[in-house]
Amino acid sequence: MKYSFCVFITFLAIISPLRGQENSPEPQPKSSSPFNQSKFVPDISMIVDFSWVSRDLENDVFSELQIPGLTHHHHEEDHEHGSINANKGFNLNYGELSFYSIVDPYFDLFAVLHVAEEHAGLEEAYVTTRKLPYGFQIKAGKFLSSFGRLNEQHTHYLDFAERPLVLKSFFGDEGLNEIGTRITWVAPTDIYLILGTEMLMGENEASFGTAGFSDINGLVNIHESENPSLFIGYVRSSFDIEDAAVLFGFSYAHGTTRMDEDFSASEGEGTAVDANTNILCGDLTVKYIIDAIKYVSFQSEYVHRSTEGSLYSRDTSFTVNEYSLEKKQAGFYSQLVAKLGLQWRAGVRYDLMNINDVRIGNTNQNIPKNLARYSAMVEYSPTEFSRMRLQLNHDRSKYLHASEGLSYKPYTEVILQLNIAIGAHGAHSF
Amino acid sequence: MKYLLLILTSLFISNSVYSQLNVVTTYPYIADIVKQIGNDKIQVTSLARGDYNPHVIIPKPSSIAKARKADLLIINGAQLEIGWLPPIIKQANNAEIQPGEKGFFDLSTCVQLIDIPTSVSRDLGDVHPEGNPHFSLNPDNILIIAKAITQKLCELDPENTSFYQTSVAEFVRIWRQKTKEWTDKMEPLRGIKVIEYHKVYDYFLRRFGLVIAGTIEPLPGIPPTTKHIGEVEKIIERDKIRHIMQDVYNPHDASEYLSKRLSVKMIILPHDVGAVKEADGIITLFDEIVRRMTQ
Repeated sequence: MKYSFCVFITFLAIISPLRGQENSPEPQPKSSSPFNQSKFVPDISMIVDFSWVSRDLENDVFSELQIPGLTHHHHEEDHEHGSINANKGFNLNYGELSFYSIVDPYFDLFAVLHVAEEHAGLEEAYVTTRKLPYGFQIKAGKFLSSFGRLNEQHTHYLDFAERPLVLKSFFGDEGLNEIGTRITWVAPTDIYLILGTEMLMGENEASFGTAGFSDINGLVNIHESENPSLFIGYVRSSFDIEDAAVLFGFSYAHGTTRMDEDFSASEGEGTAVDANTNILCGDLTVKYIIDAIKYVSFQSEYVHRSTEGSLYSRDTSFTVNEYSLEKKQAGFYSQLVAKLGLQWRAGVRYDLMNINDVRIGNTNQNIPKNLARYSAMVEYSPTEFSRMRLQLNHDRSKYLHASEGLSYKPYTEVILQLNIAIGAHGAHSF
Repeated sequence: MKYLLLILTSLFISNSVYSQLNVVTTYPYIADIVKQIGNDKIQVTSLARGDYNPHVIIPKPSSIAKARKADLLIINGAQLEIGWLPPIIKQANNAEIQPGEKGFFDLSTCVQLIDIPTSVSRDLGDVHPEGNPHFSLNPDNILIIAKAITQKLCELDPENTSFYQTSVAEFVRIWRQKTKEWTDKMEPLRGIKVIEYHKVYDYFLRRFGLVIAGTIEPLPGIPPTTKHIGEVEKIIERDKIRHIMQDVYNPHDASEYLSKRLSVKMIILPHDVGAVKEADGIITLFDEIVRRMTQ
């Protein structure tokens, strides 16, 4: 008995490795690298925007256009991104390379590289907290401000090819995009309510600026702004009425506007500005969801900017004059966009700069106002990763600065835009 | 003035009234299972409606308010919510429901997924790398889900453990009985071939032994083309197919065209609670699918 038991055990010992092999005939080869981290690759995506443009203005005229009192024509050197759809014919507008990952249990990181033909730049790079209690979240880094409704949206997500006139006038082509920090608090209520505040460096050239300046004789000596110099507060709320979602908000920005345009130089003429700027914005979005596929969305933002301070000018003999500077400017856009089918959307937009009062030394500069633009678009998206858009703009807001004064240059353009996304691109919010 | 008062009251009172566990689910079917187990011990809301495309829900800001107050967020998972839920979680500023936390629960981790692709490419349409996410339409999975949810509720609200366990036991008893009833009713259809619009009903069909001969979509998420409809027509004629299973949210025209042209029946089926008015709960959802399949 004992003998047979021994034999049985020995038999088991012999067959057990064989049995093991039978159960898993092909043992999985172990990774050759024990320190492989490929599972931790962040979400990476690339967006490319390409367009064809037809316009009843020559390129060299178009590139010199400005909205008087609001935008200057683009100097090559201070123009990091290049205007989108700038040339007649084909344009490679931008590439956008983005990275996102959870960092650890406490932070998320998001970074976007704006890639143009000749150069690349860090458009956004920020961390957000994951675990703050009581409904708080902190964002820190470089990011698009949550001022207003549309500013924080990336260009590829816009409903039209370019940003609205009023946002472009006040914040430039790239929007209000600054280094700083943001704190938000979401209220624990049935109605959506968010309060947010941002402290930013205030370097946006279209409305703000921090540069100190002084003339060669030391008559004027303005220090650089105490940084951060731009403060933003906003409140946004939303509720549903049956199948319609209503989202509205108010935003306020306060910052310094200090600009030195050759004032501190030791030759030629120059001007400089030392002022404070306040911008107020009210926004409203109503999205009516018709059925599982279709919706109609109305969106509008009214933005008002006021700047008060001093304008300094210096002539070639270094005589300095100081004038009071007062600007009150405002505009809005309203758009209606409808999703008509699984792959189709269409929309119209109206832009208007309705206030444009600039007073220098109490003299009204009588700058043109009520500057409008009309846009219409049709969009076809074969999938959520590719989109073709045909847009028509009739622009009545631009002027050309000529020797005999301003000359009015209305124009019409047709844009056929192709926007492509590959990789792991995160979902968009409302 | 009245309106302002109404807003103020809803702002400040709403939160203090409820001391129950606040559960938020992505889809109504999950909410109904939670309701069956938690009853009046919990408060449950679904973010999405049952009659819309579960892949493309519009992320309304009101959903952020719901997620902000949630103690527990239960999702379907398997990337069904990838197109709309992440920004809601991100903007809710609620530490409890972040993925990986105790208050975040992904149901797809509890069940066996089918059709896990061996290779993934977007030229294959809207593929889900983790497998077909519509697992809730296999009644056996509902049992697994109900038990897993119970465990989660007990973990977050241990005081009511015995309540949850009693009600899940009752739910399991009824569910087993109903599953037997559905199996009996579906028995005559075993082995037949069907066409579906989108790969929504694969779990249901496999469970009851039906065979999927094709889909009206050429690729997941891509609308039908004339060429592909022609191919489906050939399959219908070759395999003598009698049923096209059409969901409520995708366009019906291709299925309608085929059903008029060939002697094949278009059956509009609910895929979630609330997709059709008869399917007002998790049990009536399956009752209604079986009734429409067998009538």
